[in-house]
Amino acid sequence: MFNKPVDLFGAAAFIAFMAVLPLIFPGNYLIGVLTVSVIYGIWAVSWDFMSGLTGRENFGHSLFIGVGAYTAGFLNTTLGVNGWWSLPAAMVMAVLFALLMGLPTLRLKGPYFALAMLSGAVIMQRLMLIFWEQTGGEEGINGLTPLIRNQLGFYYFALGVLVVTTALLMWLARSNWGLILRAIRGDEATCQAAGINVTYYKIASLMISAAFAGAGGAMYAHYQLQVSPQLFAVVTSITIITMVYVGGMATIYGPVGGAILLVLLTELLRNFGEWRLMIYSCTLIGILFFLPNGLIAPTWRRVRASLGAKE
Amino acid sequence: MSATLLEVRNLNKHFGGLHAVKNVGFDIVRGEVVGILGPNGAGKTTLYNLLTGFIPPDAGATIRFQGQNILGVAPHRIAGLGISRTFQLCRPFVGLSVLENVLVGALGAGGAKIAGNLDARARELLQRVGLGGKEAVPVEVLSYGDQRRLEIARALAARPALLLLDEPFAGLGSGEIDDLSRLIRQVHADEGLTVLLIEHKLREFMRLVDRVIALDFGEVIAEGLPEAIVKHPAVIEAYIGRDNTLDLGAGHAA
Amino acid sequence: MLEILIVGAVSSAIYAMLAVGFTLIFGVARVLNLAHGSFYALGAYGTYFFTAHLKWPLLLAAIAAIAVVAVFGVFVERVLVRPMRASQLAVLMITLAVALVVEQAMFLTFGSEYRNVPAFVDAKFHIGGVDVAGARLLALGVGAAVIAALWLFIQHTRLGSAILAISQDPQAAQYMGIPSDRIFTVVMALSAALAALAGILAGPFLTVQPTMWLLPIVKAFAIVVVGGLGSIPGSILAALLLGYAETIVGYTVSTSWTEIVSVAATLLMLVVRPAGFFGKRAAF
Repeated sequence: MFNKPVDLFGAAAFIAFMAVLPLIFPGNYLIGVLTVSVIYGIWAVSWDFMSGLTGRENFGHSLFIGVGAYTAGFLNTTLGVNGWWSLPAAMVMAVLFALLMGLPTLRLKGPYFALAMLSGAVIMQRLMLIFWEQTGGEEGINGLTPLIRNQLGFYYFALGVLVVTTALLMWLARSNWGLILRAIRGDEATCQAAGINVTYYKIASLMISAAFAGAGGAMYAHYQLQVSPQLFAVVTSITIITMVYVGGMATIYGPVGGAILLVLLTELLRNFGEWRLMIYSCTLIGILFFLPNGLIAPTWRRVRASLGAKE
Repeated sequence: MSATLLEVRNLNKHFGGLHAVKNVGFDIVRGEVVGILGPNGAGKTTLYNLLTGFIPPDAGATIRFQGQNILGVAPHRIAGLGISRTFQLCRPFVGLSVLENVLVGALGAGGAKIAGNLDARARELLQRVGLGGKEAVPVEVLSYGDQRRLEIARALAARPALLLLDEPFAGLGSGEIDDLSRLIRQVHADEGLTVLLIEHKLREFMRLVDRVIALDFGEVIAEGLPEAIVKHPAVIEAYIGRDNTLDLGAGHAA
Repeated sequence: MLEILIVGAVSSAIYAMLAVGFTLIFGVARVLNLAHGSFYALGAYGTYFFTAHLKWPLLLAAIAAIAVVAVFGVFVERVLVRPMRASQLAVLMITLAVALVVEQAMFLTFGSEYRNVPAFVDAKFHIGGVDVAGARLLALGVGAAVIAALWLFIQHTRLGSAILAISQDPQAAQYMGIPSDRIFTVVMALSAALAALAGILAGPFLTVQPTMWLLPIVKAFAIVVVGGLGSIPGSILAALLLGYAETIVGYTVSTSWTEIVSVAATLLMLVVRPAGFFGKRAAF
């Protein structure tokens, strides 16, 4: 499970690859695509930590992303605060929302929790439009300042955040925390009978998930230099879930590959213009039917098996 | 330290119009093995759910554990106080290995209560219940008898003072029942546990328990030594109807 | 005041049609069908297509659209949902994916501009001093009639009893020899047809564009949660409540708040009383 030298080697190789890619193929276009893919990676990893491990799929992850982004937007433009404060502020706001949404909804059965979270995201999107005078409505908030002016520099920063996030969440997942979350997935009542405060763990993991999603949202805001209600859309949540399915549910590292793969694929499909989302949705159906364990994680497991055999 | 571990008075539970548990009261003394006997639907599992905080009793009940009132306490806290239970239908943590299952049991009651390495304790318990060597096996693959043993290991991991077993022999063949029965006796002796045991198979009961509390339709209909209970008219009626004989060897009734 | 009464009733009727179909397939097959909103959208788009592109008369177009959607519903159930039925979450994901595919298909075929579904009745009526579009009255009338017919069907036919039996106790129904699988198909077709009909009736006065599936499904879910999962009377009652709540909010506060009403009501209900008013199966 990711504790052998071959795993560290694999991780290092991946990081090196991602770092070197824009140097081999210079140009802002590629850097832009990679930056977006890395941010999606952060979102996917944060989703997997909670929903992948506990099996309580959250259909409203975009709520935390949007909250993080709008927090960044407000702080930076309306209050004129330096962009670097956006990240911690976004995380705090996202965590608060996780507490707010999680407390009443986490005791619901799977599908209802999923849909309740979806409803939460829909409400937030609506609220952004209703209070258009404060939030800028459809147009959103514009004119954020970039965190790092140099595109390549910001990319490396984002990549760094992705690596730290993934490492941290993987460490948590392999610790007793992760064990308890997986047990909760197995049988909640038995967990309680075994003395585990199930509610605490579910909410705590949702809050952790939200924190990183919010951070990613703030980073995205400072990258696009604008924030719009579209961030709360269902499509965002579903895209992230698709990335996790492609990467491999509950593996934490798989979704990183899933995110990067899907964002790159989407860019390649740019020529298909309007057909992109259609292809995306059909891919999701395909994955659900034919590759329920995903693509990235199973592939890596096979690779490391063949490599491990050598060691 | 009082000898009474668990004190129950005026325990009632209504589910809508159904009076599932009626005025149940009893004491459990430290170190006893007490059997709870009753036909299906007598309210035995409901009793466990009430004792462990999964469902709230009707007003007016008293439940004291080690002198402490545990009414209204959340299930995970009750487990932390020292009451472990198993379930009628084996419920292992799917997706986890055998060892991980026991580890969760140890973690649950607050690792702080358990001195030393949780991992070592888990492995030791697995050895004790006869699952040594199967630590890495995913639980879905285990035989039912092994799952039962795993449940006991998991329940023991938290070093409980009181162990509630819910029909531990259900679904097992007679050889497995003997093995499990021996294991329970052994664990009781080694750990100094107090054990409450629900079963409706009389034979296994007799050899295992010091005392029996018989339930029917949610009420206590008899209480006493196993040999006496078996001859008790109310118990016989509950199980077999008007028949005067209760064949110990036959095992179950109703 | 009278205007609110009528407009509220119209909204309620449309919502009731949506919710009853949604709760039917849930009650019978435990399927939370997120593509339900797509059936609604396809009803409207189908009618538009048949009338605008094939120049068919309206009634024929409507019937054809309902038929096509019913068949599509059966296809979705048989091919995509049935293999996933072991996991409610998997069903949720797959039906959501279907909804997205349909949305994109509509976008690619018809573009994102609002389309026009012609009304059966163009006239405006004057009732008690209020101008009401004939199309709205028709929606109310047809909606009420169809739901009443459905209710009678369920109460008084063998198929209806079978549906009730399965929704109350699927295992017992199987032991009794009720062909569950075939009934799922029938119920799905019914559910889809109801949604399509709602789309056709509402099309003339509600917006027809590719993303029109999302809000109806959110509202149908809201209604079904409030009314109680699997309960038809509950759905009707909740549809009335929500239809009127929305209308009143729209008239007194502002129309932009109306969408939030149902979603907020859902969340509140899930938190306070997860079984809804009449639900037997809690979301708990």
